[in-house]
Amino acid sequence: MELDGVLTNMPIPGEILAKAGDLSDGGELSGGNRPLFALVGDLTLKGRYGVSALFVFKDRLTAFDEKHSGGQATVMFCDIAQAKVKRMYGNAVLRIEGKDGKTLDLLRFTYSVADIGDAAALFVNKINEGEPVDQSLEIVKAAYRNMRSFCPKCGRKLKTPDSECLNCEGKSKVIQKFAKYIKPYVKRLILCLLLSVFTTALALVPPYITKVMVDSVIPGADRSMLLTIILLLLSVYVAQFSVSGIRAYLLRVTGDRIVIELKKDVYAKAQFLPMSFYDKTSTGSVINRINGDTANIQSFMLRITQEAVVQAFTLVGVIIIMLAMDWRLTLLSLIPVPLVVICGRYFGKRVAPMYRRLWRRGTSLYSILSDTIPGVRVIKAFTNEKNTINKYERYANDWLEEDKKASVTVSAFPTVITFLITCGSLIIWLVGGGQVIGDLVSGAQSGITTGVLVSFIAYAGMFYAPVNFFANLNDTYQHTLASAEKILDILNAEPEHDFGKGNKPERIKGKIEFKNVSFSFDRSKKVLDDVSFVIEPGDVVGIVGTTGAGKSTVINLIMRYYDDYEGQILVDGADVKDIDMDHFRGHIGYVQQEPMMFRDTIFNNISYGNPDAHVEQILHAADIANAHGFISRLPDAYDTLLGERGVGLSGGEKQRISIARAVLENPAILIFDEATAAVDSETEHLIQEAIERLIRGRTTLMIAHRLSTLRKANKIMVVDKGQIIEFGPPEELIAMQGKYYKLIQIQSMSEKAREMKEEENLEISIT
Amino acid sequence: MSRMYIDGPEVKITVNDGIFVDLDFYDGRKITMLEPKRLFPISGLTKYITLLDEEGNEAAIIRNVDALLPESRQVILNCLEEYYMIPKIKRLIKRSEKFRIWLWTVETDRGVHTFEIINHIVSIKNLYDGRILIKDANDNRYEIPDFNALDRRSRTLIMPDL
Ligand SMILES: Nc1ncnc2c1ncn2[C@@H]1O[C@H](COP(=O)(O)OP(=O)(O)O)[C@@H](O)[C@H]1O
Ligand SMILES: [Mg+2]
Repeated sequence: MELDGVLTNMPIPGEILAKAGDLSDGGELSGGNRPLFALVGDLTLKGRYGVSALFVFKDRLTAFDEKHSGGQATVMFCDIAQAKVKRMYGNAVLRIEGKDGKTLDLLRFTYSVADIGDAAALFVNKINEGEPVDQSLEIVKAAYRNMRSFCPKCGRKLKTPDSECLNCEGKSKVIQKFAKYIKPYVKRLILCLLLSVFTTALALVPPYITKVMVDSVIPGADRSMLLTIILLLLSVYVAQFSVSGIRAYLLRVTGDRIVIELKKDVYAKAQFLPMSFYDKTSTGSVINRINGDTANIQSFMLRITQEAVVQAFTLVGVIIIMLAMDWRLTLLSLIPVPLVVICGRYFGKRVAPMYRRLWRRGTSLYSILSDTIPGVRVIKAFTNEKNTINKYERYANDWLEEDKKASVTVSAFPTVITFLITCGSLIIWLVGGGQVIGDLVSGAQSGITTGVLVSFIAYAGMFYAPVNFFANLNDTYQHTLASAEKILDILNAEPEHDFGKGNKPERIKGKIEFKNVSFSFDRSKKVLDDVSFVIEPGDVVGIVGTTGAGKSTVINLIMRYYDDYEGQILVDGADVKDIDMDHFRGHIGYVQQEPMMFRDTIFNNISYGNPDAHVEQILHAADIANAHGFISRLPDAYDTLLGERGVGLSGGEKQRISIARAVLENPAILIFDEATAAVDSETEHLIQEAIERLIRGRTTLMIAHRLSTLRKANKIMVVDKGQIIEFGPPEELIAMQGKYYKLIQIQSMSEKAREMKEEENLEISIT
Repeated sequence: MSRMYIDGPEVKITVNDGIFVDLDFYDGRKITMLEPKRLFPISGLTKYITLLDEEGNEAAIIRNVDALLPESRQVILNCLEEYYMIPKIKRLIKRSEKFRIWLWTVETDRGVHTFEIINHIVSIKNLYDGRILIKDANDNRYEIPDFNALDRRSRTLIMPDL
């Protein structure tokens, strides 16, 4: 957003403009030295919500906050030693360290604007380092662009600058989304509908025949007529029930198809969701949505397209027949209708939130399952079964409690409706019965005969079923809405960017370049802070640093698991975001610390990424990965069926299989993330051998704790607290006597100690 | 490696700069420029406060803030209050919901504020002690200290989201 040409994150509040002078005329902020950009804070320095702002000029910062003397403070760049954003919990301050050693807090803000605060601090420091203004301003501009922008229609923030506004998307779009699944089956559904209308029409016949029976056939003692009527009834029943059987079958098949389509789509979408989605959403909840919620939606869609129409038809049909038989009785039987409708609305409102709450509880329960059942080995190892059971019980009870509350309302509702309906029939008995008796006594003809009365009661029963249905529809609707919401959460979630779009460069040479990359998972902590480096094709880069330094995060960004970083990542000189993601990942071999195995044969696990690979290619890959030896010694060799997540293999064996997988990809870039961290030194040696065979001629990034595994590296990158503090050939780093040098010393010392211990043990066991 | 625990009166704590504190032990030792942080920001507001030096290394842990000398206690509490911005929601002024984006306008102990909740399933957490934790679209946090102490209207507004 720009205001009079000044970049700002929010419109600058009037009170600040009043103090600072207008940007366009007269005031301090206009004229020759205009601010380059502005940052509107949402907290005061005292930590309360309020207005504050920072204007960044070419040579100074001016901050407005009630805590500064006179409400404003100005600092010249030349007096600043360092500007930084100190991130606290839920808020941050822009802090200036002066050359005189004093610090000054200029501005305070919540995480909502912290990213821009970072950019402002970076800007100040870059200018002070002598970088040109224009170039430094680009970084700031990128930060403003990156800030989630606003929907032009409703002003709400968008998830990403160019995503659609969910708010403005509108209800019709939601319906459209689901209507799509019904479309292919419209013809079938219409057929079902016609069949239903037919059976409904037939269902209207028997009560009328009852009237004829009671009024003329039985009093007239007409046996042959009786037989004819019974035969007629029989054929009506046969037609009715056989047609409705066919219809039920058709409907079920169609419904199942619809739900399977929906499930497929949700599942497919779930595959393409970015890692950040799974960081926040439990897999249990996703599974629950794919399984349970789709079914809810299916049943609702069928209700709407089928039952609603049928019931409406019944309703109209019954009213017409009733009116034709006796309009006075018809009006009487309508008396409870307004009550039924009012009740329906009242209950509907109360029930909606209950379903939502129930859903949440259900999901928590489900999440425990999906957490603990696969983790059963860990649970047993910690003999934690009892705690796990308790936790499950607690959540189950929670659900039960919520369900109990909901049940009161949910079961009271139909009961009340049925009660009202029954009262309706009482009125008919009372008035209609009175009339019939009156006619009998006086001999008059009011038109209400016993037959009319009996069939009327029957019709009235049929008439209330649809009323009940429509009153209940709201409840079902709410239930479904809760489900639809969850499904849309997945269907509408931003998929990973441009999957299947973008360039597909023929060959990836393997040059990787980070340009001022900053990244945080959530705004509370910067995991990577202004990281820049260049890796040339064919480089073997060892990445070292303490745990949590951000090594894996560098890899995650290269793999494009997370896309919302600031700065740029280039591969062969092109922005990775412009390269087709599918294509790009296909050129990377990624071996993780805990390789993921699937419940399948070893063979299929190796060919996982390349299902078309030739058998001998796979044997070759296993050879290179030093896996062939142990696989061939297994009784079922390549056909060995692995358990879930590779149960049945040791860590080192799994690791070698995952290396074989990488070999098969023939990747341009190889990444090992602590591939040998969890194995003994013997196995490590085997894996190391495999790795060294594999990396020939490929750009390789290797994260390793044991520096001895990095002997093939021609460059070392030392990551510390989200920054790269050393990067270069190992000899140079050692000569520099910096962090890498220290790490080597520490490790060789402990290595020696270990060797000595091992020798001692050996001696002991020998003697 | 032994960890230094602070139990109570053996140390005097004074403010150094903003949210940094100095420790003066009665045996004469002195540590300066430490930053207090909660080890249990959600479940233990005054228990186990770690004191970190500028490198982020832990110098000591306060077992229980309430056992400190009154002035020291106040110093620590002020620092924590300054560092942890978790506004306590007193009242819900407005709540609207459209397509799974919630917009709440609330009155907090730090003033009135409007924020968005993008994914209420993970963003609103019901704790067992009756507190409710809320995370907004920008990862700012809020707390409702006691749901049942809210006024009726606020409760009805929030109820469906829990
Ligand atoms: N999915 C995640 N969500 C939030 N924080 C994360 C996530 N993954 C890692 N982190 C944090 O990011 C930091 C860097 O992690 P990582 O790059 O995995 O470190 P390492 O150097 O050990 O590989 C750590 O502090 C870690 O806690
Ligand atoms: Mg890691």
